[in-house]
Amino acid sequence: MPTDVIMPMLGMSQDTGKVLKWLRGEGDAVAKGDPLLEVETDKVTVEIEAPAAGTLSGISAAEGEDVPVGRAIAVVLAEGEAPSANDAAAAAPAADGADPAPAVVKPPSDRSSRRPLASPKARRLAEERGLRIDEIAGSGPNGAVVAADVQRHAPAAPAPAPASFEVGSVWRVMAERTQRAWQEVPHFFLVREVEATRLEGWRASVRRRAGSETVTHTDLLVRLVASALREHPRVNATWHDGTIAGNEDVNIGLAVAADDGLVVPVIAGADRLELAEIAARRADLVTAARARRLKPADVQGGTFTISNLGMFGVDAFMAIVNAPQAAILSVGRIAQRAVVVDGAVVARPTLVLGLSFDHRVVDGAAGARFLDTLAALVEEPAGLVR
Amino acid sequence: MSTLETQAPSGTRVITQSQAVNEALAEELRRDSTVYIIGEDVAEAGTPFKVMSGLVEEFGPERVIDSPISEPGITGLALGAAMTGMRPVVDIMFGDFLTLIMDQLVNQAAKIRYMSGGHFKAPLTVRTTLGATRRSAAQHSQSLHAWVAHVPGLKVALPATPADAKGLMKAAIRDDNPVVIFEDKMNFATKGPVPDDDDLVLPLGVADVKREGEDVTIVATSSMVYVALEAADLLAGDGISAEVVDPRTLVPLDRDGLIRSAQKTGRVVVVDEGHQSYGASAELAATIAAGAFWELDAPVQRAGALDVPIPFSPVLEDQTVPTGESVYELAKGLVR
Repeated sequence: MPTDVIMPMLGMSQDTGKVLKWLRGEGDAVAKGDPLLEVETDKVTVEIEAPAAGTLSGISAAEGEDVPVGRAIAVVLAEGEAPSANDAAAAAPAADGADPAPAVVKPPSDRSSRRPLASPKARRLAEERGLRIDEIAGSGPNGAVVAADVQRHAPAAPAPAPASFEVGSVWRVMAERTQRAWQEVPHFFLVREVEATRLEGWRASVRRRAGSETVTHTDLLVRLVASALREHPRVNATWHDGTIAGNEDVNIGLAVAADDGLVVPVIAGADRLELAEIAARRADLVTAARARRLKPADVQGGTFTISNLGMFGVDAFMAIVNAPQAAILSVGRIAQRAVVVDGAVVARPTLVLGLSFDHRVVDGAAGARFLDTLAALVEEPAGLVR
Repeated sequence: MSTLETQAPSGTRVITQSQAVNEALAEELRRDSTVYIIGEDVAEAGTPFKVMSGLVEEFGPERVIDSPISEPGITGLALGAAMTGMRPVVDIMFGDFLTLIMDQLVNQAAKIRYMSGGHFKAPLTVRTTLGATRRSAAQHSQSLHAWVAHVPGLKVALPATPADAKGLMKAAIRDDNPVVIFEDKMNFATKGPVPDDDDLVLPLGVADVKREGEDVTIVATSSMVYVALEAADLLAGDGISAEVVDPRTLVPLDRDGLIRSAQKTGRVVVVDEGHQSYGASAELAATIAAGAFWELDAPVQRAGALDVPIPFSPVLEDQTVPTGESVYELAKGLVR
């Protein structure tokens, strides 16, 4: 196969090279390494050597012509090879100008109709940067595009930043609030695994009632937490500039993952609502949150927050306190787990309650007492079942 | 820098590869009364390379056994002993003589655990040599490790340094499967640091980066590690940073270790002293080409012995196997 003489890339930002002077002519016998022509860039003048031994043929770049780097400007024919119709000279406009200029200048290589040569890494990099291999000048063997060529080429076009994600207003608010809470609130955490047999039974019986078919575990927990907060007003309080402000109402926020970030709509006066009312309010708020239709009033005034990741298969976790509130409940999934009952290991549905507190408002003992009340309610919600 | 310095870093001693193998054998003989050595000239002569000097004096002629010149016979005896509770080390003086024990290795040792449904195991170690340029002519200069690596059921270790030679020998003896361990006969006097560990056992199947680099990976086995390091020095003179990775064992093969390095540099030369056609380098190159395909910036290149009998003529023999210069040229051609 004829060996292409390529206009080389001699500098990092070089796009073209000017043919200054051909040192050898069409049909000359050349040895590998013989100087063939002089090329000038904006910085240097260099001699281009024959890439192989044979006969110089198909010279397609005239003296004084600027040629894109990577383009074949002649071929060296091995012994016995004939110039092909596709060789550089044949594809180039005739020197005497008799022919009309072709509308499209085809890349003067017998590879022009084939897949452009490129290393696997170069192809992958080009694809990642949204580049076409045939737009990139190759510096590898036979003009193959190698990784360095793609990397040199990429800065020219502003490549799409593949790793950047949009930060919308909802996400920004979440980022700021969680960062401030994590930096300012002295957190501590309590964990307790509780049996969920009766909670499950409660939900099943509620769901048999007309209008309550869609009551969720979260709804039940809102109801239970609201009752527990009534008994433990300190957990329902707020840290405010060195003072602890109690809250008259029990307003429970629900952490809802919307497409554009976490939002926390609030079920106000949760301790005074019937379960069906909680379920209806929760459904409205979640729908509005996902549709980005929450009104300012829907997200204000929360005194406690519940975050439930049980539906994602999470066993247990510890949420960041939703400041200025004093505490947040992290709810894991309900699963059959081994528990000891009367000295025997048996399988029971359980869930793990995680509580994160602001230690400026609630200390460990007060937090533990709240958790104890809540655990008792989850395990035996009889007093609340209606 | 590399694990090949002849200065002793703290916690190591610099000894020859020959001493390292001797220590490994002596330690295992002391540790486990079921270990014994059998081979031609292993006892009174301590092998022609003097690797086993002193062993018969310490452990006696019943555990370091000079055998008649019958490689298939001693391998068959050792396999039977291995199946019935012993841990024999069979010494095959030249790797070229593996051809004589192929039936015992390939059809018996490699198969017995499988065909007996796990009833028998074969904790057999075959210790032998590879490598050219000792002017030993065509029947004593071959590197036939690819033959063994081709057969499932046989493990193959190719230590390049004294530390690797010691750690892999002890691992081979303790392995419950047949392991063939090849030492390069040109490396017995090569020195290197060996950790002051009174029980140095290396895992089989973990490659070792002998030199870290960025631009091209040279995967090299056995004494080709030194050839690769010489090439890396030459490349460094051109501003090319070469990484040298030694798989240490062909079976099991640390595929991830090789692929990881290839992904890092994007260019790979595989150097192995066996004949290049259908050789170990082909398996290593194919593993890398498939595993690192989208990170490769150049075709994976190989360097092995020319496909000719190893010549006796020193001038010709030196042309037959890879050299630092030839590997340098090959690697340089990949980094443009």
